[in-house]
Amino acid sequence: MQEQPSGSSSLDIRAGGPEIWRQILARTIPQLYGFFVRRGVHAALAEELTQKTVFDAVCRPEQFDPAKGTPEQWMFAIAHNNLALEMRNRQSHAKPDTELLKYLEVLDTQPLPDEVLERKETAELVRAALSSLEDKEQQVLRGKYLEDKSALQLGQAMKLSEKAVHSLLYRARIALREKLIHLAPQFREEQKI
Amino acid sequence: MRKHKEQFEKNISRLVKSTGQSQIPSEQFTNNLIDDALNELQQDQPGRQKRSTFMKRFVKTTMSIAACFVVAAVLLSVLMSPVRKVSRGHESYSAKNGELVAEAKDLAKRINPPRPPAPYTTAKQASPKPASPAKINQDQILLYTKMQPAQESIIVGASSDQSLQMAHGGTTPPNGEPVDAMFFKNYGVNPFVDTEDDHLSTFAIDVDSGSYTLCRSYLQQGNLPSRDAVRVEEFVNYFDYDYPAPRQDAFAVYFEAMPWQFGAARKNTHLMRIGLKALEIPDENRKPAILTFVIDVSGSMSREDRLGLVKQSLALLVDKLRADDKIGIAVYGSQGREILSHTGLNNKQRIMRAIRSLESEGSTNAEEGIRIGYDMAEEAFVPGYINRVILCSDGVANVGATGPEQILKIIKDKADKGITLSALGFGMGNYNDVLMEQLGNKGNGYYAYIDTLDQAKRLFSNLTGALQVVARDVKVQVDFNPDIVRSYRLIGYENRDVADVDFRNDIVDGGEIGAGHSTTALYELKLWPQKEGNIATTYVRYKDADTFAVSEFSARFETSQIAAGTSAVSDSFALASVVTQFAEILRQSYWAKGANLADTLAKARQLTAAFENNADVTELVELMTRTNDLLAKTADSEDALEPASIEYRQP
Repeated sequence: MQEQPSGSSSLDIRAGGPEIWRQILARTIPQLYGFFVRRGVHAALAEELTQKTVFDAVCRPEQFDPAKGTPEQWMFAIAHNNLALEMRNRQSHAKPDTELLKYLEVLDTQPLPDEVLERKETAELVRAALSSLEDKEQQVLRGKYLEDKSALQLGQAMKLSEKAVHSLLYRARIALREKLIHLAPQFREEQKI
Repeated sequence: MRKHKEQFEKNISRLVKSTGQSQIPSEQFTNNLIDDALNELQQDQPGRQKRSTFMKRFVKTTMSIAACFVVAAVLLSVLMSPVRKVSRGHESYSAKNGELVAEAKDLAKRINPPRPPAPYTTAKQASPKPASPAKINQDQILLYTKMQPAQESIIVGASSDQSLQMAHGGTTPPNGEPVDAMFFKNYGVNPFVDTEDDHLSTFAIDVDSGSYTLCRSYLQQGNLPSRDAVRVEEFVNYFDYDYPAPRQDAFAVYFEAMPWQFGAARKNTHLMRIGLKALEIPDENRKPAILTFVIDVSGSMSREDRLGLVKQSLALLVDKLRADDKIGIAVYGSQGREILSHTGLNNKQRIMRAIRSLESEGSTNAEEGIRIGYDMAEEAFVPGYINRVILCSDGVANVGATGPEQILKIIKDKADKGITLSALGFGMGNYNDVLMEQLGNKGNGYYAYIDTLDQAKRLFSNLTGALQVVARDVKVQVDFNPDIVRSYRLIGYENRDVADVDFRNDIVDGGEIGAGHSTTALYELKLWPQKEGNIATTYVRYKDADTFAVSEFSARFETSQIAAGTSAVSDSFALASVVTQFAEILRQSYWAKGANLADTLAKARQLTAAFENNADVTELVELMTRTNDLLAKTADSEDALEPASIEYRQP
């Protein structure tokens, strides 16, 4: 069954000002994100698809037709199409090897396949690696990527300058990769047991 | 390096995000996205209104045309079937036409009452888009330019006053895009790199010149090319800089540098040229060639008589081949098939009969055609000979089980086994530059765009160079001396980037170079003031074409070799500088911001005296003049963008 948004509005956004859009987006963005995550898409891709859906809508408001449904239903239809497109693109490519260790060595040159990021084992391994980092490194990585905070906001929270946050982030990313490389073989063995 | 840093950050970001378990995004993400979306909404308002006005006009015109067709169809059906009824009533058609149409419309309304608008549907519910075999790699940003009035955009895709016919037969558009789409890819613009961050610049050589001929075709038809069609290195490599050929070695390398002023924001920069010239091989010493032509005879090839030009070009090539060469021909329309098994040039008439018999048909099953071509090439394979597949197509592939990735994989595998591929592109409108360039690249051959018979003549004038490769996987690494060079940027070669660490990794692909061919790379440099010494050491690594033995050599370039001024350099370097500026302006490079084409044109005109009998330079000046006029015309038009709002390509 096709997923429908909750709390649909009857606002006509075609001529609507920023305030109407703000209301609709504030309500719809979390729903769209949840929709993608429930379809098994990993968090980073869910964010990307949510962004794409929102931009597809704001760039073409003239395509919204109130006779066909509410703005939320319209945006969900775009979301369905974006997800279908993503899946179709994925099917047209050969399935990649989903062994994370293979990709850790080339993190700076190769994009990580979505299939790798959607494996439960990957999330568990990254969680284990994150927890083994120093507190500050964990804090800065979680703040930056899970809470989407800017360096300025992180600096304020951690009482550091913006520049210091940037260097901490730099070190934390490298430390995380090293931890992942270190833990991955061990983790794979544990999984077998 | 910067690209690597971004990739690394992105991967880490995605990995950390994968640990999130919530089905709700972070508050910050939602707020940021709302702000970005509202900004986009406000910024895009005027543009959208403009587009929307254009769309309204477009829809209105389309609707009127469609209405005319409906009326004509209804009339026809009315005239065909109720003819007897009318005849029985002894009424004349001419007198009753209006009523008949009115009746037919009423009938149509009764049969098909107006429907309420359909609710929003998903792709699955709506008509599914067929899995497109011609889909380009999903990571690519494909741009297309539709046939549209010149004033719609500062960059116009194709002729505005030419109403090109739709492709016959193969009318299923590639990737669901309009059939008149031209496919190009934005490879970005190289940034200035501080030598303190990265003093090594590594790239694979490129001897193609397809981008220049394609853009020339645009300009000669009175249109500015899409900026994505411009690859600077292919503009530069179109011209012959007269580098002396090496006597024994596979390569000779030449350096030159001069002070260079280009773009508004930079002063005290230098332009450095690195020229590579491959060993020349006399025609009589060329290896025998086993050539397999794979010719696209799909419906789209009948446009602008593309197939006619293919036939003429092939006839030209056949004339230049020797008696010990062989030719086989496979074609593909709706299906692929062999039409001439490999035949020696002593039976030229048979070959010419096969070429003359080519006719366009159906859709485009490129995959099957290429497979058949390679099967033939494998069967006729002779070790030590030139075993080459020559694909002649407009790059549109719309039928077949697999996408271009599969085709590219086949080509790469076969190239590794010694069967190389050259991609010859034909056509304007419904042309896929991205795929053709990739085919030539993966096939260890080259990509050339043929728009006229003269271009075919030019391409085959050095047939030995076009067929016989003297070095494979050629990679260049320039090691800049950080004590002398503050920063540098490689001009062009954006899609030939090789990671610094892969320079000596011989599995990583480089570029191929034919006998007597040359290639030029240009760097813009910012030097530390009043320092003297070695500017850079250039390393060239390549594999022998036959033995695959790896060789490497290096050459140094010193500050003392920098010319004192632009007037002190060779004419050929001055020409390369002008061509670079032209390409940079055409592709709206960030580094061309503030540059004026009129100034570059003036420099080009000064050069004509030195290149008096050089048709290429005369043509260049003509193209630059046309471009200058087109830019001026666009600037005068109502919809011209303000200079400040021109979107320059960001590095």
